Amino acid sequence: MKPGKWYPVIILVALGLLLPGAASPVLAAGKTKTVVIGFTASKTGKFNVEATRQINGLHLWMEQVNAKGGVKLADGTMVKFADKYYDDESKKGRVQELYTKLISADKADFLISPYSSPLADASAVIAQQYNKIMITTGAASDSTYKKGFTLVYQTYTPASRYLTGAVDLLGKLNPSAKTLAIVHEKDKFSTDVVNALKAYAISKGYKIALFEGYDSGTTDFAPFINKIPQPVGAIMGGGHFADTTTLAKQLYEKKINASMIALLVAPPEPKFAELGDACISVVGSSQWEPAAKYSPESAKKLGMEYFGISVADFTKSYQAKYNGETPSYHSAGGYVAGLLLQKAIEQAGSTDTAKVKAVLDGMNLMTFYGVIKFDTTPKAHGLQVGHDMVYIQWQKGKDGKPVKQVVWPEAAATASAFVCPAR
Amino acid sequence: MQAWRRLGFWLPVAVMFVWGLLVLVMHHDTVRETAFTLFMFIALASSLNILLGYTGYVSFGHIVFFGLGGYFGFYLLSQHNWPLLPSALAGGVISALIAGLLGMAILRLRGAYFALATIGINEAARAFADNFSPFGGATGMFIQFSAYEPYGGPGPALWASFIYLWIITLAVILVSYLVKHSRFGLGLLAIREDEDAAMVMGVKAPRAKTIAFMLSAVGPGMIGTLYFFKNGNVEPGDAFQLHMSIEMLVMVMLGGMGTVLGPLLGAVTYVGLRGYLLTTPIFQNLHLAVAGLILLLIILFVPAGAVGWVRSRVPWLRRALE
Repeated sequence: MKPGKWYPVIILVALGLLLPGAASPVLAAGKTKTVVIGFTASKTGKFNVEATRQINGLHLWMEQVNAKGGVKLADGTMVKFADKYYDDESKKGRVQELYTKLISADKADFLISPYSSPLADASAVIAQQYNKIMITTGAASDSTYKKGFTLVYQTYTPASRYLTGAVDLLGKLNPSAKTLAIVHEKDKFSTDVVNALKAYAISKGYKIALFEGYDSGTTDFAPFINKIPQPVGAIMGGGHFADTTTLAKQLYEKKINASMIALLVAPPEPKFAELGDACISVVGSSQWEPAAKYSPESAKKLGMEYFGISVADFTKSYQAKYNGETPSYHSAGGYVAGLLLQKAIEQAGSTDTAKVKAVLDGMNLMTFYGVIKFDTTPKAHGLQVGHDMVYIQWQKGKDGKPVKQVVWPEAAATASAFVCPAR
Repeated sequence: MQAWRRLGFWLPVAVMFVWGLLVLVMHHDTVRETAFTLFMFIALASSLNILLGYTGYVSFGHIVFFGLGGYFGFYLLSQHNWPLLPSALAGGVISALIAGLLGMAILRLRGAYFALATIGINEAARAFADNFSPFGGATGMFIQFSAYEPYGGPGPALWASFIYLWIITLAVILVSYLVKHSRFGLGLLAIREDEDAAMVMGVKAPRAKTIAFMLSAVGPGMIGTLYFFKNGNVEPGDAFQLHMSIEMLVMVMLGGMGTVLGPLLGAVTYVGLRGYLLTTPIFQNLHLAVAGLILLLIILFVPAGAVGWVRSRVPWLRRALE
């Protein structure tokens, strides 16, 4: 065979080898971009349970949005998301150091807050300093958003509205109840909640029979429980997961009676059911529940846009990814933090801070997590004003095991609340 | 005293001076933040060393001065619009005064009784902050983001905090050296070896211990103010963290109690070790337990710490390692 006969074959093979290699860098450089989301996570320490669920939610969102090809910008670039995070040990000590590292060294484009208000406060200073948008989740204290930050946005219903609905529920459940005993953790978040609760209860005609704070990390609540007058209309308060769970258990063991026991943070967590009979009838305020009825239809009724995954799909995909674990509101909070960034980038058509901020400022939509709208006044910029709490109560299922039911507001209720039975 | 002629004086001072200068020259925010954490622990450990290392009195609640001084300084800063430096100085002064008052009462206790009393004081101070309305009670106090504007914005404000911390750390190390090589310091060392014998020899132990306690409280009070200013808020839970006291003890013991260089070395080693433990899956939930184990091993096998161990084995290095 003459050598010249091979030329077309050689040219074709050469083209075949060269073209994909030549084409792909152009595509990669012009059409895709990775946006880094930075945060610290309490992988160790007292916020470990809540923070882990929060990260799980965020990771689920990231996996789903990337699987769909990412978010398309105005110039046709597809944005995919990656995360970078460090353990903050549930302590404020290194939060600023780590957020500075995330921004300066790891080149994070957007930030998610650490879990809890004190840690979020410290990180917000760094976010604002570097002109980075931060979505807070797990940071409910109102004061964080009253410091003059302009790039910090809250997903949670603020602490001042955490337990006020429980007072309304009590009025419906037992109109003759007129006294409240409030026992709470003496930290920033819980104190913010109960101060607002106390003011609201008094405005509704209730008498505060006891208003006592306990130190973080308290494990023996006997001194506080012994001070609760009997009879009492309702016992409200608590703090974070560990202490509130112990408080609920000891209230049961000491056979304290009240028409309602409404506590913070712990009751909505699936692990709260491990208390067995001690969890029955306990009411908890929750940012979100799998039984929540947020849907495109309910958004349409309110005349607003619905964005993202449905409640059922979120619950199903979360359970599928995390070995059947039921998502808590911390998980939903993590997911929705990413979802809001996705929506803002998508609508802005850009990852530019000013453009994304403009979209977030004007945001008024419904997601599987509920309504999202931010205060844009200089006095409380970024404070969540659209989202509302739901109230759950642990009830006995048909098999005798504890089942969590949404009992308030009535429009979202999956079951009727009942008065705490005599113990 | 001709301290400036001794290598042992210049080594820690030069290390801290050059380190801080390098951070300023590099002008990189990440480097600054890492250095801030390290300098803070170096200054806290060196402050504790003035009490623990020179008098032998173990304070498990020394972080109380970081909290109380920080609270007071932050109060002046946030509620009365004082500038940062005077607020920090006031935080240091108030810490020293409180230490003076406390010292007159609890430094009469010895050994385990004194150690237990210091834990009680830390908890009492936290309870005080929790319930004291002018300090914001359990919710604490915060500053508006605009509070950083007088310093040129948040970036320059954080750099200013770092520079003040650098100067304070240098000052604490200087004080530590000067105390050790003074007549007063010799009295303290005598108290550490045998308090009764020291008193027989003419050392006014109660007064000397109280002054040492006050000196050891100034630095933490000033640093607390800087730290809370940088964070933008202060709360009781952050101000009185007992585990930080224990970490300070580990740093001093690790580096060498009663030495000037020891706390510096101990703080750097411990913070580095903690960073490693936290990023190693097997240890990340156990880093405080590991710290406890290290403390136990040091007490059992190297009670003089790293610097003390080297000093005892390499005599010609004694002049350099103070």
